[in-house]
Amino acid sequence: MTRKVMRVINREQCIGCYSCMYACSRTYFHIATTKLSAMRIKNYPGVEGAFSIRICAGCPDPDCAKACPTEALTVRKGGGVDFHEEKCIHCHKCVDACLLDALQWDPVLKEPLVCSQCGVCAAFCPNNVIALVEVDDE
Amino acid sequence: MSKILHIDLSKKTFEAYEDHKLYDEYIGGTGVATKLLYDMHIENIHPYDENSPIIFSIGPFNGIYPMATKTIAMFKSPLTGNLGESHAGGRLFMSMYDAGLSAIVITGKLSEPSYIAIEDENVHFVRATSIWGQSAPATERILRGQEAGVGKRSIIRIGPAGEHLSPMAAVTVDTARHFGRLGLGGVMGSKNLKAIVISGSKRRKMNNFPAFNKIYTEIYSKAVHSSAMKKYHNLGTPQNVLPLNKINGLPTRNFSQGFFEGAKFLSGENMAHNYLAQQIACANCPVGCIHLAVLRKPFQDDIHYKTFKVSYDYEPIYALGTNLSINDPEELLDILNIVEKAGWDAMETGVTLSWATEAFEKGLISTKETKGLILNFGNAEVYKKVLLKMLENKDEFFKDLNRGSAYCANKYGGKSFAINFGGLGSPGYITGRDAFLGFLMGVRHSHLDSAGYSLDEQIVNGTLTPDEKKEVDLLIKEEEWRFILNSLAVCLFARKIYSEELVIRGLKALGITKTSDDLLKISKKIHRLKYKIKISNGFDMNKLSFPEKLYTVQTSRGKMDKETIKRMIKDYRSRIENLLYAI
Repeated sequence: MTRKVMRVINREQCIGCYSCMYACSRTYFHIATTKLSAMRIKNYPGVEGAFSIRICAGCPDPDCAKACPTEALTVRKGGGVDFHEEKCIHCHKCVDACLLDALQWDPVLKEPLVCSQCGVCAAFCPNNVIALVEVDDE
Repeated sequence: MSKILHIDLSKKTFEAYEDHKLYDEYIGGTGVATKLLYDMHIENIHPYDENSPIIFSIGPFNGIYPMATKTIAMFKSPLTGNLGESHAGGRLFMSMYDAGLSAIVITGKLSEPSYIAIEDENVHFVRATSIWGQSAPATERILRGQEAGVGKRSIIRIGPAGEHLSPMAAVTVDTARHFGRLGLGGVMGSKNLKAIVISGSKRRKMNNFPAFNKIYTEIYSKAVHSSAMKKYHNLGTPQNVLPLNKINGLPTRNFSQGFFEGAKFLSGENMAHNYLAQQIACANCPVGCIHLAVLRKPFQDDIHYKTFKVSYDYEPIYALGTNLSINDPEELLDILNIVEKAGWDAMETGVTLSWATEAFEKGLISTKETKGLILNFGNAEVYKKVLLKMLENKDEFFKDLNRGSAYCANKYGGKSFAINFGGLGSPGYITGRDAFLGFLMGVRHSHLDSAGYSLDEQIVNGTLTPDEKKEVDLLIKEEEWRFILNSLAVCLFARKIYSEELVIRGLKALGITKTSDDLLKISKKIHRLKYKIKISNGFDMNKLSFPEKLYTVQTSRGKMDKETIKRMIKDYRSRIENLLYAI
């Protein structure tokens, strides 16, 4: 089965402009910020110009969903997870379980910020760092 | 957004308040900062006095639209004694926006070396004697590890230059951005304030999301897909090196000529092909004009290597490269690295060294002052030794160099070839009278005030006809429009995209209605207040002149005629006076 998921395709081309994070927050929350983005560009202290891109891998069998004690996160067809807010008990276990540090946390609502693999972040990347990529799970 | 946070360092207190009227009248950024500084009446206080203020100010576009990346700093300049204003990119605007703060006003003095951490409207005062003396880059490394903060933060700090109260000390912002000009670093040092860490957690839904989203996408597309930002995206500001050299506009050996024989080595092209490690960006700017070079240097038997990254731009290339006749990019990067660590303004440092070299040549200073160092244009080894002596800040002559070119020329002589305007070392253009007139009369004596070099270039290439009155007109018109851009506060590199029409539309999408006429009135008001601050703090309208040496050099437009320049200065002055006395 082929499916489309987000991938980092040219990490070294990242200029750290955060346009991706702005795009995600803007699209889903109508807020101009980097903070409500379902992904993260990480800087390293004191290492000039080194960025690490933490983006939801759209796992077919995701650790975050496994870690959720209330099934607030369920496996989405095509990869990644769906979030069922009413079931969330705000325990943070999902975020702790994401080895990629890709799953973000909304500190106000105390909920995970789940990536829907829509690709708006990639559409606003000026340097072709991230993309929606077709993968084959065979 | 119209929240102002006032921090009193002496009492270690802080208070936030709203002032909608101020923002309605002056937009934000430079407009609001100017009004705040004006109302603080700094006339009778020394720039390093406890009561001397530091203001950081952002505008309605910051944090909202792409390329609105500037934070405006305003203070009393220890270099000129009047209006101190410097702009920097990086992430500072974003952190202030996230904290819900439109402006931060700092007064008072800390009793011991400290840094402050601002989180939303709260301020922590932290003793920092252990990092006093650390370089500007090291201070960031240390504080980034120390301060957890909320999400993305901005760290601004001074290096040893600011601690030594050098009036040419800069404040470094995040990675390789600076409040470079006019000495904010010295003012921070005088307050025992090593650094400021800012973070925030505020979130505000856009009232009219579709309108905002449409304009955001339009600006983003223009920035990425049109040719408007190509120059900055590709070679960056050093693209100017070769074209300026071609028209004899590139200052060489202390403004002796506009042609540098080694220009091809310091060109944007050569720097990119041989030294560029990568480009990086300010937050919310897809252009990425910050160029980081990599320099690899051997040590220990020449078989061990150390590697460092240092940013380069046109102005530092001119100031510490062509104007000192240094044509080896590696030597230039080495010098830039020393300047970056010390936390000096690269431009003022270069202008001061080029004055010193000519003063040495002419016998105004000797090896007695320089402690045996022989200053020669092109000798990078000696310049590095001079900088390290300046960093020690012990011997009298090197202490004096820390005070900039105007101070040195006053003390040792050579005013005619100390290339500064209003006390500030010149930007890097010998394009002609419009560039120099802009440096002299611009409110912050910066090439970014009115970009007179651009008028000179247009005259050289025949797209504009020389006309004394019209050139003065155009300079003032450009400067006043830039007051609006700096109030928003967008990066001036994006000025082609941020047309008046787009600015009005962009404001409207945020619920701010301003007509073209409103903007013009506001810009005039800002101009008037800035000049009032300048004059009441000692900027002398009776002493307006160019450094004499400039009349002897071939500019891109040929030699300047002194009488013509006198007439143009008089004309410019009378227009400023009309502005001052207009109601």
